[in-house]
Amino acid sequence: MFNSSFDAVVPMLCVVLAALASMGAEAFRAKDEEMPIGGLGIVGLAGAGISSGLLWNRNAASFGVLVADNFALFVTLTLVIVGILTIMFSSQVLRRDQLPKGEYYALLLFSLVGMIMMAMANDLLIVFIALETLSLSVYVLTGIRRDDPKATEAAFKYFLLGAFSSAFFLYGIAFTYGLTGTTRLDQVGAYLAAQSMSDNPLILVALGLLLVGFAFKISAVPFHMWTPDAYEGAPAIVSGFMSTGVKAAAFAAFARVFLSSFEPFSADWAPIVWILAALTMILGTVVGVAQSNLKRMLAYSSIAHGGYLLVGLVAANQVGKAAILFYLLAYAVTNLAAFGVIALLSSREKETDELRDFAGLWHTHPALAALMTVCLLSLGGLPPTVGFIGKWYIFSAAVSAGYYGLAVIGVLTSVISVFFYLRVVVMMYMADRDASAPVPSQVTGLGMVALAASIVAIIYLGILPTPVLDLAAESIATIF
Amino acid sequence: MDSIDLRLLVQLGVIGLTFFMLINASALLVLAERKFMGFMQQRYGPYLVGPHGVLQPLADILKLLFKEELRPKGADKWLFTLAPILSVTAAFAAFATVPWGAETTLFGLLDEPIKLGVADVNVGVLVVFAITSMGVYGIVLAGWSSNSKYSLMGGLRASAQMISYELSYATALAAVIMLAGSLSLREVVDAQQGTWLGFLSRWYLFVQPVGFIIYIIAGVAETNRAPFDFPEAEQELVAGYNTEYSSVRFALFPQAEYINMVTMSGVATSLYLGGWHGLLPFYTPLDPLIEANGLGWLVFLAKVGGILFTYIWVRWTVPRYRYDQLMQFGWKWLFPASVINLIVTAALMLYVLNA
Amino acid sequence: MDGWPGVVIMIALGVGFAAVMIGLSVLLGPKNPTPEKLAPYECGMPAVGDARERHSVKFYLVAMIFLLFDIEIAFLYPWAVALRDLGWPGFVQVVTFFLILAVGYVYVWRKGVLDWGPVARATRAAARREAA
Repeated sequence: MFNSSFDAVVPMLCVVLAALASMGAEAFRAKDEEMPIGGLGIVGLAGAGISSGLLWNRNAASFGVLVADNFALFVTLTLVIVGILTIMFSSQVLRRDQLPKGEYYALLLFSLVGMIMMAMANDLLIVFIALETLSLSVYVLTGIRRDDPKATEAAFKYFLLGAFSSAFFLYGIAFTYGLTGTTRLDQVGAYLAAQSMSDNPLILVALGLLLVGFAFKISAVPFHMWTPDAYEGAPAIVSGFMSTGVKAAAFAAFARVFLSSFEPFSADWAPIVWILAALTMILGTVVGVAQSNLKRMLAYSSIAHGGYLLVGLVAANQVGKAAILFYLLAYAVTNLAAFGVIALLSSREKETDELRDFAGLWHTHPALAALMTVCLLSLGGLPPTVGFIGKWYIFSAAVSAGYYGLAVIGVLTSVISVFFYLRVVVMMYMADRDASAPVPSQVTGLGMVALAASIVAIIYLGILPTPVLDLAAESIATIF
Repeated sequence: MDSIDLRLLVQLGVIGLTFFMLINASALLVLAERKFMGFMQQRYGPYLVGPHGVLQPLADILKLLFKEELRPKGADKWLFTLAPILSVTAAFAAFATVPWGAETTLFGLLDEPIKLGVADVNVGVLVVFAITSMGVYGIVLAGWSSNSKYSLMGGLRASAQMISYELSYATALAAVIMLAGSLSLREVVDAQQGTWLGFLSRWYLFVQPVGFIIYIIAGVAETNRAPFDFPEAEQELVAGYNTEYSSVRFALFPQAEYINMVTMSGVATSLYLGGWHGLLPFYTPLDPLIEANGLGWLVFLAKVGGILFTYIWVRWTVPRYRYDQLMQFGWKWLFPASVINLIVTAALMLYVLNA
Repeated sequence: MDGWPGVVIMIALGVGFAAVMIGLSVLLGPKNPTPEKLAPYECGMPAVGDARERHSVKFYLVAMIFLLFDIEIAFLYPWAVALRDLGWPGFVQVVTFFLILAVGYVYVWRKGVLDWGPVARATRAAARREAA
C-alpha cells in the first residue's frame, strides 16, 4: 500500500500537513492568543526541502501523473526558499496589520502546495488542479485586508481575470485531449511527435489556448492587465509572494508542457512566444518608467522579467533551459526581498509604496536603504549581483540559438529599466526627507534576518554562480 | 411484432398507473393525515363528504379549482407560476426510478418479463438524489418570486434546511450502496432477497440501523414535514413560502410534499426494508408464496404505507424544533454521525469480506 | 421500462398535469382582483418596503460549505460502489481524504459557521470572554 509510488508526493505532503496544522491551530486559537503558526509553516517547508533533496536524481513518479525529476525538484527548492522567506517577512507584517494569522499561513501554504504540484505535474489535468489550488489561495491572500477597498478591488479583478484564464486553459486541455486521447504529458508528446501541423491544424488551437492560459499566469503582454492592479492592491508581502512563487510555478509548468509535450511543434510556437517575449519586455519596461508607485513599478518590472524568462523559453537550447531555472531562482530571491523591504517599512495605516515615501530613507534607515539598493541593482541586472548573471545566461542562450533580435531587445530594455530602478536609489540617497511625512516603522527580528539572507544570496550567487548553475544544468539534463 | 407492441403498451401502462397512483396517493395521504390527526386528538376528522368523509380530498380539489388565482403586485409573473410546476414535476420525476415490484410476465401475458416501475436506470439512487435536490428550486423560487417577506424567509429557510440535510441523507445512502455494490435501486432490492441466519429477513435495516435512522430523520427534514416544517411554520411565517399562493397553484405545493413523502418512503423501503422481498422482519412461510405468485408489489405497498404512517404519527406527536436547533442538529450531529457510519460500514464490510 | 425514456415521460406527465390544473383553475375561477387582494400579505397591515432585502450572511455560508461537502459525497458514490474491488488501499485513501476534510469541518465549526441564532452566538462569546 505504501510503496514507492508515494515518493514524489512527500514534499507536497509535508506542506499540506503544515497547512492543515495551521488551519487546525487557528480553529482552536483563543482570541489574541499568540501561536507560532509561522514556525509550523517553516517546519513544513523545511521538510519539503529536505525530502526534495533526498529525492534528487531518483526520478520518482507517483501514479504516473506526478514526477519528481530534478527539474521539478529544483523548482520545488526555489519555491521552498520563496515560502520560507515570505513567512519570515510576514511575521512582523501580520502582527502589525492584525491580519488573521492562521488563515494567512494556511492559504500561503496551500498555494505553495499548488505550486509544487504544478512543478511536478505530468498530466494536464493535474496542472489544472494545481493551477486552481494556487490561484484560489492567492486570490484570497490578495484581498486578505478585507477592510481595504483597494485590496478588495484588486482581489476581485485578479479573481475574475484569473477565472477567465483558467477557462482558456481548460479549453486548451479539452482540445489536447480531443486530439490525442490523453492528458498525460509524456503520451501527448509521443503522440504529437508522429503528427505534423498540416495533418491537423487543430493542434494549433490547443496550443494557442494553453499558451493564453499560461500567459495570463506569468502575466505576459497582452495578458498582463491584472498584474499592476493586483500587485498594488495586495499587501506588499503578498505581492512579493505572487510575483515570485506564482511565476516560478507557472513557468515550470509552461516549460514542461511546451518543451516536452509540444516540442515537436516548437517551430510553430516559437515565433508566437518570440512576439510575446518581445512585447512583454518592451511594455513592462516602458510603462514601468512612468510609474510613481513603487509597487506598480515593481509589478511592471516583474512583467518585464517574465519577458526575459520567455526569451529563455524561445531559445530552448541546453543553456537556455538551465538559464530559465537559474533566472527563476535569482529573480525570486531578489524580487521577494524588494517587496519585503516595502512590506517591512509600511505601517498599518499606509503602505510605504509611493516613490516619495522613500525620499531620504538613507537618513532614517541606512541599512534598509543599502539592502534595497542591492535588490534594485540586481533587478536591473548590474554586476556583481545575481541579476546580472541570470540575464547574461539568458541572453547568451538567445544569441547561441540565433535569436539576435530578442537578445538586442532584452539588452536595450534592461538598460532602460536600470533608469527606473536607479531613480529609487537616487531618491533614497539624495533627496531630502519630507519633514511632514511619518517616519516609516523600524524593522527588527525575522524580517531583517530574511532580508540579510536574501542579500547575501544575491551577492554570493552574483560572484560565484557556478555551483547553482551546474545544478540547474544538471537538473534540466535529465529531462527534455 | 405484435409482442413488441404489446410490451411497449404494457410498459406505458405501468408508467401511467404509477403516475395515477401518485396523484391518488397525495389525495389519500391528505385524508389519512386528517383522519389520524382526528383519531390522535380524540375527534372524528372529516366525515361529512361521502361515507366517513372519504370523498373529502375530491371536494378539496374541486373547491380549489373554483377559487381565484391571485398573484400579488410586484411578484415575478413567470417564476410565480413556474415554482409550483417545478415543485410538482420534481416530485413526480423523483419517483421515476423507484421500482415497486419484481419482474413479472403479468400471469403469462408477455413472453419476456417486464420490470414494474417507471424507469430502470443503472444509477437510480443518484437520479432520486439529483431530482429531489431540484425540488428545492420550486420552494426557493416560490419564496423569492412572491415579493412577500414571509415567503422569502420561508424560501430561504427551506433552501438552507434542505441542502443541509441532503448531506446526511446522501451519506447514509452511500453506506447501503456500498453494501449492495450497485447504484441501481432494483439491484439493491434484489440483493436483499433471502434471509440472514435463516430466520431474519435479509433487510439492510439490520446491518444499517444507524443509517436507517439518519435516513428517516433527514427524509423528514427534506420533505419539510413536522417537526422540521420551518419553511411554513405558521406561528412564525404565516404560511412560509406559499403565503401568497391561492387556488391550484397553492394546491400543487402540498401535493408535491406528499408525493415527496411517498418517494422517500419508497426509497427507504427499497434500500433498507428489502423492497418487495420479505413481508415481515423475520421469515414467514408466506414469503415464498408471495414471491411465487408475483405479489411482491403488495408487500412493497404495505411497507411504504407503514413508513408513511410513521411520518404522520411523528407529525402529531413531536413538537416543532427551533430553526437554529434544526441547523445545528443537522450539521453537528447528523452529518458527522452519517460519515462515521459510512466509514465503520466500509471497514466492517472489508473485514468480513477478507475474513 | 429500461433506461431513461421512463424518466422523461414522467417529467412530461408532471409538467402536463401541473399546467392543466393551473389552466383549469384560471378558466374556472373568478377574476375580480382588488388592490387589497393583490397586496403582499403582512398581517393585514400595508406592506412596508420591498421584500427583496438583504438577508443574513449565514445562508450564504451554508450554501458554500454545502457545496464543498456535497462534492465530497458525490466523490463517495463511485467509491462506495467499487469498494469491494478497491479493498483496504481504497479504504485508507478515502479515510485520508476524510481526515483532510475533517480539518476543514473542524475549522468551520470552531469559527462558528454552524452556530445559528442568538443563543449560540451568546454562548460562544461568553466562552471566548472566559478564555481571554
